[in-house]
Amino acid sequence: MFDRLRFVPIRLLQSIPVVFGVTIVVFFMVHLLPGNPALVLLGQSATPERVAALNEQLGLNEPLFDQYLRFLGNLVQLDLGQSITYQRPVTELVADAVPITLSLLAYALVLSLVISIPLAAVAASAPGRVRDAAVRAFTLLGQGMPQFWVGIMLILLLGVKAQAFPVGGYGKTPGEHLYYLFLPALTLAIAMSPTTIRSLRASTIAVLGSDHVGTARSKGAAGVPLFRQHVLRNAAIPTVSIIGVNLGYLVGGSLVIEKVFAVPGLGSLMVNAIFARDFPTIQAVALVVALFVVVVGILTDVVYTAIDPRVDLASKERA
Amino acid sequence: MTRRTRTRSAAIAVVAAVALTACGGGSDSSSAGGGSSEPVMGGDLTIARAADAISMDKTTTFDNNSIYVMQQMMQPLFTVSEDGSTVEPLLATGYEVSEDQLTYTITLRDDVTFSNGDPLTAEDVKFSLDENTATGADGWGFVNAAIDTVEAVDDQTVSITVKYPWAPLIADLSIFANAIIPADYDGQTAEQFYEAPVGTGPFVWDEWQRGQYLTLTANDSYWGENGPYLDSVTWTVVPDANTRKLQLQGGQIDIDDTPDWSSFESLSTTPGVTATAFPSTRMDYIAFNQQVEPFQDVHVRRAIAFAIDRESMVDAVLYGNGEPANSLLSPGTPYYDESVEGPTFDLDAARDEMAQSSVPDGFSTSLLIASGDPNQASVAQIMQSQLAELGIDMEIRQLEPTANKQARLASDFDMTISAWTMDIPDPDQWTSFAVDPEGGSHSAFTYWDDPAVIELNQQAQREIDEGTRQDLYTQIQEQAGESAFLAYLYYSPYAYAMTDAVQGFQVTPLGNYPLAEVYKTE
Repeated sequence: MFDRLRFVPIRLLQSIPVVFGVTIVVFFMVHLLPGNPALVLLGQSATPERVAALNEQLGLNEPLFDQYLRFLGNLVQLDLGQSITYQRPVTELVADAVPITLSLLAYALVLSLVISIPLAAVAASAPGRVRDAAVRAFTLLGQGMPQFWVGIMLILLLGVKAQAFPVGGYGKTPGEHLYYLFLPALTLAIAMSPTTIRSLRASTIAVLGSDHVGTARSKGAAGVPLFRQHVLRNAAIPTVSIIGVNLGYLVGGSLVIEKVFAVPGLGSLMVNAIFARDFPTIQAVALVVALFVVVVGILTDVVYTAIDPRVDLASKERA
Repeated sequence: MTRRTRTRSAAIAVVAAVALTACGGGSDSSSAGGGSSEPVMGGDLTIARAADAISMDKTTTFDNNSIYVMQQMMQPLFTVSEDGSTVEPLLATGYEVSEDQLTYTITLRDDVTFSNGDPLTAEDVKFSLDENTATGADGWGFVNAAIDTVEAVDDQTVSITVKYPWAPLIADLSIFANAIIPADYDGQTAEQFYEAPVGTGPFVWDEWQRGQYLTLTANDSYWGENGPYLDSVTWTVVPDANTRKLQLQGGQIDIDDTPDWSSFESLSTTPGVTATAFPSTRMDYIAFNQQVEPFQDVHVRRAIAFAIDRESMVDAVLYGNGEPANSLLSPGTPYYDESVEGPTFDLDAARDEMAQSSVPDGFSTSLLIASGDPNQASVAQIMQSQLAELGIDMEIRQLEPTANKQARLASDFDMTISAWTMDIPDPDQWTSFAVDPEGGSHSAFTYWDDPAVIELNQQAQREIDEGTRQDLYTQIQEQAGESAFLAYLYYSPYAYAMTDAVQGFQVTPLGNYPLAEVYKTE
């Protein structure tokens, strides 16, 4: 298998221009926005004179291109610059936020698989019957309900009424993190599941009708062992790419959940930085998100390769 | 007695009642819930708010979330009284002014120590005041612009000379930016010092996990007689108002620092929770850009000011928790004059003014508001329908909050909604900003230029006699009202919701809340 993973380093190299392109676009777009950090920092005491003087002090009156070159120069030394708002290294702020967002997403992924795989299997095992309809109704609801509403409902029911989980926050120890992140991860999982369930259900139905499954059945395999050994790996293939796309989207899309549950992840960092026009932080988060999306894309292909021995992405004959 | 005086008297009475309660008077207090009379030692207080602090550097931070925290650690020579009307000695015992009004001699308390054990001396005062003055453009140095020199006469005496008679000086000294820190940053660099500031206050630095929580613990060697009673105070970051409300109801936090007005009523009737509206110095207003036709015409401005139904705005935005504004100054500000009659809702007077104006048949204009702000949106919609009665076609123009600030700074608007809250217990910071083009903002970005009022303001800055100063500010308030360079909307209080266990929690009209005498019953 590792032979077939040759494509990974090549893909990583290919992604560098993409990420680089993202930083250029974000940098110049953000500087096009009206407003500047000094304006925000000075609050109600802002006057044109004070704003100009503070901007001068912050080095924001230099030509844009020079500022971009300085950003790149720092980047090459793995220095993401200094946050204008907080006057601390951006690397610190990002390093605090990234694990939080990653653990939230990983947690959400696990929970969504826990929800999706059994539900998809149940639906696919009896297409057109009641249980299938019930599962499909659930996916419709899941797609229709806005995330923040689901989040608040979970807080109300499981947090306030049942007092089973805390209402928002992140906790201080790893154990507490798991506990505090359960409700937000569940909210995200409910949002992610519908597309996963539908894709998995469709491909499962297709696989269940295939020859090799018929053979397995005739040999006596049935129920969960049948599903696990003969069906899942095949049915999972299209679903893996859907999950990959979902995850990439979620890194930015988790913002609403972060706000409702007071989880200090990348989404909040980014939005606060945008309001504050904290350019170094905005650029750094955009960079991290771009890297994340690229890595998730590569990982998706790695998982493909692991699941399906026929797949060889490194092969030159692939169109 | 006017309604405003009654409200103010009621607020003072409540404050007095709570103060008596905290001293063991046992009288009933309605402001912080419950009537326990003995402070309980110990306990951790958790306050949830929408955003995190930014920095503990007292001279360069303009952000309230940072300021309210640093005030628990670092204290100034004087401080605002609980009702906002005067300035009281805190680290100082008092002061004397020379005959020519150019030299202030301030005596310090002799029993004050920093939390590191060092005694407070005049050297520390000189260092701290000079530090603020030196910040210049990026900080609060402008507040000390009138100060010429600060000298340590002896350990317990400081002499401050000013360049010209300056009435707001003592109030300026009460701002957090002039809080007293150890001389020479206690042997550290400024940056190191502000990572974990040391001051004379009832709480000391503990821990800050940015974006999540900030904790201070009790200063065991606090010089004050009362408190601190709490073991620690933690501010958490909870951006969503609903989540804060649910955390409060679930007992996960003790105080919600900005409950929505729409939830205020239901919070006050929730068992175990108290919702309090503390009088503030906040005034919301409409600014007219006099560089844009036809707002240079006083009749047009007055017409619009008379056409605004402030009561319905108070109902729609504040759910009744506020009052129509009658003056440039707000009730919690010294020299506020409640008898000044600013334009009130009177459509006949409005039509009258329009008839006398340069555009009697109406005109088209726009109101700039910040997007995502439901309060501004409500105000804008109410105004739109009212101005239509005068034949004024008002478009609502929305900009993202920071872009909105930029537009306001550049006076790129016809009309816009804005607000001001006092930072200092003296009207000058606001009046100079608002009426004097030299104040740096072109008269709150309106380009209003009235030499008579500018002259009055400059006189008031230099007038030490309080009676005369009151006269001057009354005249300023009257003339500003007549000119309607701003259309005042309403005064809104600070909303706080807390569990019944929290006692002694008070917010001054400036917005800060000293926590030394707060405690939790069980």
